[in-house]
Amino acid sequence: MSAQTPLHDLSIAEAGARLRAGTLTATALTQHALDRIAALDPLLNAFLLVTKERALADAARADRELNAGIDKGPLHGIPHALKDIYETAGIRTTCHSQLLIDYVPEADGTVAAKLAAGGAVLLGKLATHEFAIGGPSFDLPFPPARNPWNPDYFPGGSSSGSGAAVASGMVRVAMGSDTGGSIRGPAAYCGIVGLKPTYGRVSRRGVFPLSYTLDHCGPLAWSVEDAALTMQVVAGHDPLDPASAAVPVPDFSAELGRDLAGLRLAYPRSFFATVDGVSPEVVAGLDRAVQDLARLGATIDEIALPDYELFNACGRVILTAEAYAIHEDNLRTRPLDYGRFAYQRMMPGAILSAADLIQALRLRRELADVVARVLETHDAIVTANALAPAIRLDAFPADATMRTPGHTIPFNVTGHPALAVPTGFSTSGLPIGLHIVGRPFDEPTVLRIGAAYETVAQWTARRPQLELKMAG
Amino acid sequence: MSTDDRRALEQEFDALTARIGAVVPADRKAGIIGCCEELRRMTALVRQPRSAAAEPANVYSLKPMSRP
Repeated sequence: MSAQTPLHDLSIAEAGARLRAGTLTATALTQHALDRIAALDPLLNAFLLVTKERALADAARADRELNAGIDKGPLHGIPHALKDIYETAGIRTTCHSQLLIDYVPEADGTVAAKLAAGGAVLLGKLATHEFAIGGPSFDLPFPPARNPWNPDYFPGGSSSGSGAAVASGMVRVAMGSDTGGSIRGPAAYCGIVGLKPTYGRVSRRGVFPLSYTLDHCGPLAWSVEDAALTMQVVAGHDPLDPASAAVPVPDFSAELGRDLAGLRLAYPRSFFATVDGVSPEVVAGLDRAVQDLARLGATIDEIALPDYELFNACGRVILTAEAYAIHEDNLRTRPLDYGRFAYQRMMPGAILSAADLIQALRLRRELADVVARVLETHDAIVTANALAPAIRLDAFPADATMRTPGHTIPFNVTGHPALAVPTGFSTSGLPIGLHIVGRPFDEPTVLRIGAAYETVAQWTARRPQLELKMAG
Repeated sequence: MSTDDRRALEQEFDALTARIGAVVPADRKAGIIGCCEELRRMTALVRQPRSAAAEPANVYSLKPMSRP
């Protein structure tokens, strides 16, 4: 970090240090972010709504408080944004859908409230797939977000705006949600970090549900440290979320900076390396990353997991049943208010039987037990995230399918924490990545592994050259 | 899935949606049936040989996932 470092390239810790030293104001940091959004977002469509007045008011308040010696924690004065399924008091929350186009919640959800209480600056609401399932779509009230590395390409979903906003430097951290990979997929496609915490670690209250037992809330961030600092603000037991776990909140940054000596990592190479559609570049990136992790001191054991198709079938049956149950009435009465993809992906829930769902839940327990047994003897699992780089937005078929190009849903099924980290770039210049899966509520170890790898891989030093695209 | 199987699946879908009073837009129907085919393949996969004692996860079992 130097005095010339652009403000959007300051880490949350670096910006926080300057704010507390009085060499930077939250107002200046926020105005820089707003200027960057104004310049870049017309190309990316990451924001559905920019809350400029709220952001500047939040920033001014943070400046007053910090000047008075009031310190609300690591995000005090730091700009952030929320996927537009997070309810925000007095601010439209649309789920990127015509169905909720005028919905203005009366209260913040728990995460939005925690961020506000922690002094964070809300920049706005971010694009998603409709109800976190229908996208990328051009038949919705707002256009889909685009990939900052090449705006003709998909940024991943459903936390698509979160991924695009972070990768482009419009915001350092954004909240997303992950039901089958919706934090980790955009992180992979956009070349950033994304943490799906343990199920129950971060409250889902006030976040529009897609699938009650698969939904997780978590951060997408430029660095592992940024994600860890955000977790410190948003994690914790919430008695108003029936799935929230009453477990202690650790220091998520405590293990950052350590090498990996003494850690044993499982590498299920056969789980992903030979499946249809996997890119050799993704496999090579994982192999190189595992070698780096070994050089950092970890012991690597190649292991086997059950066939991915079992995890996928289990997760998709549960997801479709739960999403259909949530939307059944609107699917019946307002079909044309849904975009094509959301409608086509949820309506098949009509054919599921009670026995189908129970069989999936029985399989879920078996699969969770298998992963738990691996983690009895290993500190984490390192495996594939997206199987290939992003595809072009115009390459999606006209009709929806149940297939996704990610390998992420297994850990929604099991509930384990999973951290997406970039492993580099394809020859086409698009990001590729992996994810690190840990024991329940052991996010600090997952973050330690991700941070150690990030330090040697150095992918955070490279930003999309959007200014050149805008100028051209 | 054979043509007959696909037709049977479509008839089943039509009956189930009619039961709840849903009118499915015609131009969206083919894509839905395609997704139903994929889902039907998945419901076969989740059926494994298991005893009556094999209980479901609710949501999942924390105990076997905890550190030894």
